Amino acid sequence: MSFLDRITEGWRKNRKPGYHENFDYHWAMTIDLDQCSGCGACVTACQAENNLPIVGEDAFVKGREVKWLRLEHYWEGEYPDVKLNVIPMMCQHCDSAPCETVCPVSATYHNQDGLNTQIYNRCIGTRSCAVYCPYEVRYFNYNDHAWDSPLDQQLNPDVSVREKGVMEKCTFCIQRIRQAKDNAKDDGRRRVRDGEVQPACVQTCPSNAMVFGDRNDPKSQVSRSLRDPRAYKVLDELNTNSSVVYLKKVEAEG
Amino acid sequence: MPNIDRRDFIKLVGAGGVGVGAGVVLRESIKHPREHLIPHVLAPEDYSSGVATWYNSVCSMCSAGCGISVRTREGRAKKIEGNPSHAVNQGRLCALGQAGLQVLYNPDRLTGPLLQSADRGADGFTQITWEDGLTRVASQLDVLRAAGRGNRIALLTRGVGGHLAELLESFAEGVGTNRLFHYDYAHPHALYAANERFFGEQQLPYYDLSNTRHLLSFGADYLAGWLSPVHHSLGFANSRHGGDNRGYFVQIEPRMSPSGAAADEWVPAKPGTEGILALGLAHHIVASGHYDGDDIDEWKGVLSAYTLEKVAEETDVSESVLQRLAESFANASPSLAIGGDGAANNSNGVDTLVAINALNYLAGNVGTAGGVVFNPNPAGATSHDHQANYRTLAQLAASARNGDIDVLILNDANPVFTMPLASEFKAALARIPFIVSLSSFIDETSALANVVLPSHTYLESWGDAFPEHGMGFSIGAVSQPVIAPLYDTKATGDIVLDLARRTGNPMPWDSLEDCIKDGWNKIYQRNASDTQTDSFESFWRALLKAGVWGEKNHRSNDSFRPNASAIANIGVDVPVFSGDAEVYPFVLQPFLSTMHDGRAANLPWMQELPDVMTSVVYGSWVEMNPKTAENLGLAEGDLVDVESTEGSVRAPILVYPAIRPDVIAMPIGQGHSNYGRYASNRGTNPLEILSPLVDESSGNLASNATRVKVVATGKHIEIVKTSGKSRDLGRDIVQTTGGSDHTAQTNSIPIMVIPT
Amino acid sequence: MNVSIQPALKSLQTAALIVVVAVVGIFIGYFIDFLVTDSPEVSAPEQPIAFSHKIHAGDNDIPCQYCHTEARRSPSAGVPSVNKCMGCHNEVATESPLIRQVSEYWENKEPIPWVKVHDLPDFVHFTHKRHVQAGIACQTCHGPVETMDKIAVHSRNNEGPTLLASSTGEIMNSETSDVGATQNDHWEMGLCLNCHKQHDVVDGKAVRVDEGGFDNGLDCWTCHK
Repeated sequence: MSFLDRITEGWRKNRKPGYHENFDYHWAMTIDLDQCSGCGACVTACQAENNLPIVGEDAFVKGREVKWLRLEHYWEGEYPDVKLNVIPMMCQHCDSAPCETVCPVSATYHNQDGLNTQIYNRCIGTRSCAVYCPYEVRYFNYNDHAWDSPLDQQLNPDVSVREKGVMEKCTFCIQRIRQAKDNAKDDGRRRVRDGEVQPACVQTCPSNAMVFGDRNDPKSQVSRSLRDPRAYKVLDELNTNSSVVYLKKVEAEG
Repeated sequence: MPNIDRRDFIKLVGAGGVGVGAGVVLRESIKHPREHLIPHVLAPEDYSSGVATWYNSVCSMCSAGCGISVRTREGRAKKIEGNPSHAVNQGRLCALGQAGLQVLYNPDRLTGPLLQSADRGADGFTQITWEDGLTRVASQLDVLRAAGRGNRIALLTRGVGGHLAELLESFAEGVGTNRLFHYDYAHPHALYAANERFFGEQQLPYYDLSNTRHLLSFGADYLAGWLSPVHHSLGFANSRHGGDNRGYFVQIEPRMSPSGAAADEWVPAKPGTEGILALGLAHHIVASGHYDGDDIDEWKGVLSAYTLEKVAEETDVSESVLQRLAESFANASPSLAIGGDGAANNSNGVDTLVAINALNYLAGNVGTAGGVVFNPNPAGATSHDHQANYRTLAQLAASARNGDIDVLILNDANPVFTMPLASEFKAALARIPFIVSLSSFIDETSALANVVLPSHTYLESWGDAFPEHGMGFSIGAVSQPVIAPLYDTKATGDIVLDLARRTGNPMPWDSLEDCIKDGWNKIYQRNASDTQTDSFESFWRALLKAGVWGEKNHRSNDSFRPNASAIANIGVDVPVFSGDAEVYPFVLQPFLSTMHDGRAANLPWMQELPDVMTSVVYGSWVEMNPKTAENLGLAEGDLVDVESTEGSVRAPILVYPAIRPDVIAMPIGQGHSNYGRYASNRGTNPLEILSPLVDESSGNLASNATRVKVVATGKHIEIVKTSGKSRDLGRDIVQTTGGSDHTAQTNSIPIMVIPT
Repeated sequence: MNVSIQPALKSLQTAALIVVVAVVGIFIGYFIDFLVTDSPEVSAPEQPIAFSHKIHAGDNDIPCQYCHTEARRSPSAGVPSVNKCMGCHNEVATESPLIRQVSEYWENKEPIPWVKVHDLPDFVHFTHKRHVQAGIACQTCHGPVETMDKIAVHSRNNEGPTLLASSTGEIMNSETSDVGATQNDHWEMGLCLNCHKQHDVVDGKAVRVDEGGFDNGLDCWTCHK
C-alpha cells in the first residue's frame, strides 16, 4: 500500500472511535480507589521521571501549575460523619478524545498503541485541546522553566524539556514503553511482557493501587482488573472511552 | 527617487543600521547553540553512554530504611525507585524517597569546609581546606580528651543506624564522652517505653497490617509517617482486597489524618483520651466474655473503672460506637490495634500505648499473623539506643547553659527548629564555645557552627541500615554511593575516622567503606552456613546486587503472658494540657506534613506537592472546624495568631471539615528562617509555641498537649491550593460502592518491576 | 482656506521610507549573521584537532565500531575516549604535530572537546542500537565518512532511500562511496522518514501492525520524545 493509500485508509477509519481497526498494544490503567491512600508518591514520581518544571508559588496562584498527575479531593458529608475521597487524575488517553479532534496542526492524535500522543515541536499553543478536555488534564507552558543548577543534572534525558508555548500532559511514560519494546527486541521477543512496562506512578505507588498493561492481552493483570464489577470511568456519560478505569471505593459497614 | 534632504538621509542610514543590528541579534537569539561531544579520558567499566546503570542503596529520608534502586545515566542520578527485592518496600517508594534526588542536587548544598569568621549565626562563613578544618576540630577535641575532660564534648546527630552508629559510639568512647545523642523529632519514644513496660521487649514489634482483618489505629498515621509508611501502605493494600475478608480499618483521632481518610471509619475522640477509649474497649471485651485467660480477675480489677458509660463521657464517643468497635475488634480474627503520633504525644502517652498493647493481648493478637509479632534482635545497631527525648535534650541544654559543654559536634540534626522556643535551646547552644557541624546544609542549628565539615549526602556515601520496626525477622541493607561526590565533601564516617586518628584514637579501619565491609564480614561469618556464597567477596557482591539481606531468625510464637505488675500498672489518666481552658479553648495538634519534620522543606518538589488532605502548597495553615470558624466569624484565608502560653505564630485559617470543634491543627515543616532558598521565610513553625510538657514515664515531649487561642488579625491572604471547591456536586467523579458489590481478588499479585 | 497636504505627505513618505529601510536592514543583518558566523547549520565545522576519518576509516580500514563502540548497544554511538586514541598513537605517528596535540590532552587528563556535527534537536530520540542491529550501514545516514577529511552533515537522499547493508551482515565500511545520504546544511527529518515509510524491519526484530494504520516506525512518538 502506498503511503498515500495508507493515509486515506486512516482518514476513513478516523470516523470510528479510537480510529484504529486494531491496536498493536492497547495500554490501559486501572486505579483502585479503595487502595489509594492519597499519599502523592505518584505525583512526585511523575515529576521526577518526566522533567516536570518547578513552577514556583506564583504559578500555583494563577492556576498554572504543571502536574501531569494530580490528586483531586472531594469531601463528603459534614462533621462528624465526614469522608474524604481522593482520586488521582491524569490524561485518560481517551479512545474518543475530544482534544484530538480540535488540534489544528495534529500535534495530538491517537497512535496505534492506544495512547493519546502529544508532539511538542508540532504544537503551536492554541490551547484549544485544554479547553476541550473534560478532565482538565492538559497543561500549558506559560513560561520557560529553569532549574537552579545543579537540579538540572537530575533531568531525564529520555524526555524532552518543554519550552514556553507548548501543551503537555501525561504520556503513560512513553519513554518507558519505548524502552520496554527496545528490550523486547533485544531479547528477540516480538511482544512486551505483562508487567514489564510500568509508568513511574504505577511503579512507585506504595499501596499498589495502580495497574498498567495491555488490554489486548486477555491474560494481563489490567485486563483482569478491567473486568472487576467495581470498574467505572470518570465522566463516562461523555463517551470519551477513556483508557484509565477506576475501581469504586468500598464503603464498608463496621 | 524623491528628494531626500540631509536630515532624512541620516535618519534613513540610522534606521538601516538599527535594522541590520536587529537582524543580527535576531539570528543570534534563535540560533541553536553549538554543542560539543565530550568523551572520557579513560572510560570507566560500568559505563555506557546512552544506557542506564542501576545501583541499589538505602533511602535515608526517614528512619524506615526502604531499599532503593537508583537509575544513573552518564554518571548522574536520574530517578530513584524502590528496590523490588527489599522486603520493607517491595519496589515501592513514597514521595519523600523520590525527592531524595533534590537533596543530592540541591543548589543550597555546602560545597566544602567553612569557617565562621564573623559572629556565630551571622553570614560570615569563609571557605577553608579540609586539612585546616580537621586540624581545628581535632585540636579542640584533643585538648579535652588529653586532659581527661572528654565529657565536655557532646555529639548530636540525626538518627543513624548500622555501622555508622557503631562508629560514632566508638568515637565518643575514644574521646571520653558519654554525651552521644541521636535526635529525630518523630522518634517513637513512647512506643518503645510502652513495649518495654508491657511486653518486656527492647525492640519494637512488627505490626502485621497486611494480614489483619480489623485495624484500630489510635492516632497512628501509618500511611503517611508512622514507623514505616511504605510498608504499612503495602499492608493496607493487601488487607483491602479479599472480598468478604476485606480488612476493616478504623482511625481514632481528633483530626483526620491521611490514614483517617483512607480508613473505613473515623472516630473523633477527644484529644489525649485515646488510651481511655482503648481501656473502655478492653473493659467490654473482658466483661462480655470475649477474653477468658486465667488472669481474667486481675484484668477485671484493673479495668473496672473504665465502663463504657464513663469512657463515653471522657472521650466524647458514644457508648454504642464503643460497644460496636469492641465487639468487632474482638470478633475479627486476627485484629490489630496500633497507636502513635497524636495519641502518643500527650502527658499520658506511654500509658495510652500500654493500654493499646493490653487491648491487643486481650483480643488474642499477640504473636499471631495479622497482629503483633515480636522481632528478633536487629542484626546491626539502630539509633534507638542513643535517641534523645525531650528531657535528655533539655538536660543537654541545661549543661550547656551551665558551661559544662565545650565542644558540640552536630550531624544533620536541627533541634533549633524542632524544639519549642520554651526550651531556649538556641540560647543554650550559644553558651557552647565551639560547635562543628557535619551537616550537608546550613540550617537553623548548623548556622551556629564555628567550623563546617560538610558530609556527603546519602546517595554519595556508604552506609547501612537495619530497620528499627523490623519485619518479624532480621533485615538489613547496604547503602552504596550511586555517583561520584559532587563537591569537596566527605562521608560522615570518614570525617569521624579522620578525627579519631587525629585525637590519638585511631580505629581499625581506613575508611567508612572498610568499616562497613568489616561489619558485614562478621554478619557473614555468623551466617556462613546459610548463604549460598563461598567467600565474603562473593557475598558482598551478591549483597550489593540484591540490595537487601535477611536472616532466618523468626521468634517462636510462644504465647505471651503479661506479668502481674504489668497488668497492675495499666491505667490511663485524663490528659493534662497546658494553659487555662477558659483562656485557651483549643488543643493544638501539630502534625507531620509533606516536609516531614521540616527536613524536606528545602526540596522544591515537596514544596510543590499539594498536601494530602488540603492540597495546599508553599505555605502553612491552621485547620479549623467549619462551625467553629463560623462562630468566630473567620473565613478561609483570614490570618490569625495562634497563641499559647509560650508565644504565638501566624497563619491563615483553612476550614477543615474533619476536625473536632475544640481542636485546631497545623502542619509541621514550614517556618524555616535559614534553610536555603526554597524553605526560608516561608510559612510558620507551630513547634515554636509548644509548651514544654513532658510525659513523665518516657521523657517524651507532649507535643499534642498545648492549649491555644486563636486571635483574628483582620488581615487576609489567599491560601495557595490546587483543589477547588472540593465537593463532588453530583458529578460522580469518585464513585463508591457498599455491601455486596465488593469483590474478590483484583490486583493482589505484587507487580514485579524489571528496571529499564 | 487652502491647506496643503504636501508637508504631511512628505513626512509620511519619509516615515514609510525609514520603515522600509529598517525592515530591509533586518533581513540583511540576518543574512550577514547567517553567512559569517559559525552555527550548527554550517555543515563541516572546525574540530579542536583536525582528525581525518579518511586516514583512519578510509586508508587504514579501521571499522567504525572500533572507536564508536556503543553503536551496537546504545542509543548513542559514543565518541572514543582519549585512551582509545592513545592505544595506537602511543606508537603510531608520534612525531606528527596533530598526534602531539592528542598526547597533550592525554597527559593533562583532559577530554578532547569535539564539536558535534550530527546534532539532532533535543526533542528527537534516535537510537543507534536498533538501526545498527537492523543491518543498516553507517554511511546510509552519515554519508561516505571514509572519504571525509572533515566530517560534514549528509542528510539528503538522492533518489529515494538506498539502504546500505554490507554483504556479510557485519557493519563495516561500505565498499562504495555511492551512498544514500548526500551533503546538506542541516539534519532533515525527511532522511529518516524516507526509510521508515518504505521499509518494515524484518527478521523478527520489530513489531508491526499488520492491517491498516501506521507502522510503529511511522508513529510520531517513535522518534519524538
